[in-house]
Amino acid sequence: MKMTNIYEGSYKWVMFGRDENKPEKIIDTNQYMVRTSDRCLLIDPGGVELFAPMLAAVLHYAPVDQITDLFASHQDPDIISSLGLWDQALSNSKLHASALWEGFLRHFGCESIEYVAINDGGGLIDLGDVELQVIPAHYMHSAANFNIYDPQAKILMSGDIGAALEAPGAPVFVDNFDAHVDKMRFFHQRWMPSNQAKRVWIDRVRDLDIDILAPQHGRMFKGDDVNRFLDWFDGLQVGIAV
Amino acid sequence: MKLGQTRSQFVAVASIAAELSAVMDVAKNISLAAANAKAIAFRAGEKAKGFQPITDFINELAKDTIELVNTINEHALNLYQLTVNEYRMAEAYDKFVAVQTLAQGAAYIDSLNQPLNNCYQNMTECRRDFKTNVTQLLDQLAEVMHPARAARVIAANSRIEASQAGEYLQSLQAVAESVDNAAQVIHENVQRCRTALLIIDLAD
Repeated sequence: MKMTNIYEGSYKWVMFGRDENKPEKIIDTNQYMVRTSDRCLLIDPGGVELFAPMLAAVLHYAPVDQITDLFASHQDPDIISSLGLWDQALSNSKLHASALWEGFLRHFGCESIEYVAINDGGGLIDLGDVELQVIPAHYMHSAANFNIYDPQAKILMSGDIGAALEAPGAPVFVDNFDAHVDKMRFFHQRWMPSNQAKRVWIDRVRDLDIDILAPQHGRMFKGDDVNRFLDWFDGLQVGIAV
Repeated sequence: MKLGQTRSQFVAVASIAAELSAVMDVAKNISLAAANAKAIAFRAGEKAKGFQPITDFINELAKDTIELVNTINEHALNLYQLTVNEYRMAEAYDKFVAVQTLAQGAAYIDSLNQPLNNCYQNMTECRRDFKTNVTQLLDQLAEVMHPARAARVIAANSRIEASQAGEYLQSLQAVAESVDNAAQVIHENVQRCRTALLIIDLAD
């Protein structure tokens, strides 16, 4: 599992991904961690197949008892089907996820972890050293969907928005936006169902000060590429299957 | 304890649930047969005098069986939940062991010891509960065999009484036959439940 520090201040953002031992037919995912002095938030901690390499990677940064928070942007298995395993590992942890998905996510196993239901309007995750904003991104692509924004680190974890399918070992940042577009187009046209929802999300996100847009698949966007992405996405027709 | 063990437990527990559901249907049929027999015996009057108390027995038997099966069903459900818990714990334990290998050299690898030990202990407790529940369930299944055996005796008596019921002979013999068949089906299904339970690997 590749580990990349994407922000270092009084706390840290780490991106985990490009797992070399990932089973072939399983989609590659990016997991993110916000590590403060005594707490740790795992953002979209991944599927059940990824649990062991993911926890092994996290142990380089934090002990198990300081993994206090998990966040699931939505309900897909590549996001959070590892929940039942985290539930066995963590004794003092919360899962922040949409109120709409609670009855579904509990199928993965959520006995010892406390489910903190997020309402449609979003909210905050207070990690002590830093307060993160939970930004609504409904229908992008999931019906109840959230992003995480860190105003201090200026990172937007955007879930499936900005996702691309990459070859194993691809760099973690976009280095040629025009070349990258082909890897994103079909995914966004087919998986994002609503132009109206896209419009609302873009308007909301344009108000945020973002240095890094960090999706759950593929490469992250940095600096000017963030606005390039928003402009490109703005002009894209989505929901093409109907 | 291995993941394969819990997988075979899932199959065993599911097959028990299916067999019990069939036993319940048959017990309800006996209850119907009892009501039918009662009506016939009433119409037959003096000719089926000896048959009348038998219909009450048949009805009691059906009620007892239904009650027992309801209790056993609750037990089987509990066994299923224990199997789910055990499967989850066994899976987690395997993964934690894998993490230990993958995290060699990680600064906080030792922090995994506590969850690993907890998981092992929970798994051991779950196994102990499972074994206790299997033993109790086997006892309860043996209990269901008693009314089934009694039903066969009643069926034999019913045939004798039916033979003296003149023109009602055929109807009452049919009742005796259906009680006998039902008892046999219950016996076979319960036996299959016991076999399914007995082949579960209860080793640690």
